[in-house]
Amino acid sequence: MRRLRAGLVYAALVTLAGLFLFPLLWVLGLSLKTRLQVFADPPLFIWWPTLENYVDVLGRSDFLLAFVNTLVVASSAVTFSLCVGVPAAYAFARFPFTGRSFLFFALLVMRMLPPIAVLVPMYVLFSKLGLATTRLSVVLAYSTFALPLVVWIMRGFFEDLPKELEESAWIDGAGRYRAFVSIVLPLARPGIAAAAILCLQLAWNDFLFAAVLTNNATQTLPVKMMSFSSGDSGVDWGGLTASGMLVILPVIIFSFAAQRYLVAGLSSGAVKG
Amino acid sequence: MSGSDVARPAMVAVRAAHRGTWAICRFSLDRAFTAIAVLPTFVVMLGIFGIPLLFSLYLSFTGWALDQALLGGRFVGLANYEDLLTDPAFVGSLGITFGYTAATVTAQMLLGLVIALLLNIDLPYMRVLRTALVVPMMITPIVGALCWKLLLEPSLGFINYLIGQKIVWLGMPATALLSVWVVSVWQNTPYVALILLAGLRSLPGEPLEAAAIDGAKWRQSFWHITLPLLRPYLLVALLLRVIFEFRAFDNIYALTGGGPANATMVLSMFTYLTSFVRFDFSLGAAASWVMLVISMVTCLFFIVTIRRRDAH
Repeated sequence: MRRLRAGLVYAALVTLAGLFLFPLLWVLGLSLKTRLQVFADPPLFIWWPTLENYVDVLGRSDFLLAFVNTLVVASSAVTFSLCVGVPAAYAFARFPFTGRSFLFFALLVMRMLPPIAVLVPMYVLFSKLGLATTRLSVVLAYSTFALPLVVWIMRGFFEDLPKELEESAWIDGAGRYRAFVSIVLPLARPGIAAAAILCLQLAWNDFLFAAVLTNNATQTLPVKMMSFSSGDSGVDWGGLTASGMLVILPVIIFSFAAQRYLVAGLSSGAVKG
Repeated sequence: MSGSDVARPAMVAVRAAHRGTWAICRFSLDRAFTAIAVLPTFVVMLGIFGIPLLFSLYLSFTGWALDQALLGGRFVGLANYEDLLTDPAFVGSLGITFGYTAATVTAQMLLGLVIALLLNIDLPYMRVLRTALVVPMMITPIVGALCWKLLLEPSLGFINYLIGQKIVWLGMPATALLSVWVVSVWQNTPYVALILLAGLRSLPGEPLEAAAIDGAKWRQSFWHITLPLLRPYLLVALLLRVIFEFRAFDNIYALTGGGPANATMVLSMFTYLTSFVRFDFSLGAAASWVMLVISMVTCLFFIVTIRRRDAH
């Protein structure tokens, strides 16, 4: 009876996992086919895989530029949000001040509002300020989701840190700043790493902001990838599938790195993982 | 007497005074620590969030074009909102967004709960299965949608090969809606499953054990113990899914672009097309304020519900 139950559970989960993974595996397969093999009807299930699509895509300077853009924009947005948000999260966790709950609530709401609603006025303001289509504009746009996430995750993290270490530092004559920099921040390193990885993932995955706020020179990877589906000569299957796989490769790697923190991050700290 | 000897007492006095001010400075700086720590966040929020939203509110009450000065729009009162509410495309998109949100969230919650319950059973290799099941949620949404677009391709797609027909899935309203729904369920069910799994893991063991000793069937203890205890997690998952499905954009952009015949025109897509394809920023701002108000009300409703449960 027990073994039967275990067998049923495995069967259900393996079927689900298969269904969930299949679309990705299918496209991974397509990306390893030549143009001729892609158009085979019925589809080929056994073939000698080729890397020519990947060689093509990686040899294109515009793809590499988009890769660099994504890296620069995503990491700048995360660094900026961490620098701004971590001290604030510490203050939220430790010191009561007027307007604390209001400000915190505002941060929560900020994460909940639809990005398109912020994007419309942002685009107008940025174009009037001469910032539209710059990388800076995308960095600022990404901060709208990265900053609240950093504050939420880090506040939870600071609340869980024991207060005694800072208190003894204060008694020994270290100011708030010294205690924060030399005691609290080193202890908070795992939390900062988790917040950074989650924000990096969100920034890397963004399509909407980048699609509106960039041009050919500043576009990010997801935007570049979509351009393969509307080229002059129709859909470029090889370019599209290979670039799609290349876009998600780093995300899969850093998701596994941060799996422990995934739940806390997803629920914006409302549920601790 | 050299000049330096005369200067020395003065220097000492200056230094002492300096040290005093420094101590006072440090004391007051310490007192201002909280303000200094929070200020940058406050300023950034105002800059990237407060000011743009106020500006968009202003835009929504004016007739404004991109070649005009920033505050040069002509005040038109509620005309933009009237235009929206008399535009069948917008009214249709309100209905489609609500229907889409309800349908996707219901399916995600149900399937997510089933997956969480299955993953919570203590068996070997569960970690591997969990990892495999969360992949759709982790990958770039637009790439996930693209994978489905290729699967659904009429002549070369795997799905048509499987059923042996040549259905143009994304070309007909009913099947396009169905496809968008399937993709969203595929992509975001893991999200619900992970939150509920975290909830199941944190439940106290005693009530379930006591029920088992009293001879309760699995179904009874699920309905009367597990579900009520899981309620806060269910509410959080529900809130987040409703909020995130309401703003759905990437999937729909990649799969249908809002078509065919506006069948999948959700509010985000409508606002995007109005603002960045037709460049009518005033109308776009009005549409985005409708979205903002709806999301804020939803959010408040959930937060009040969650708080009230917590208080009990």
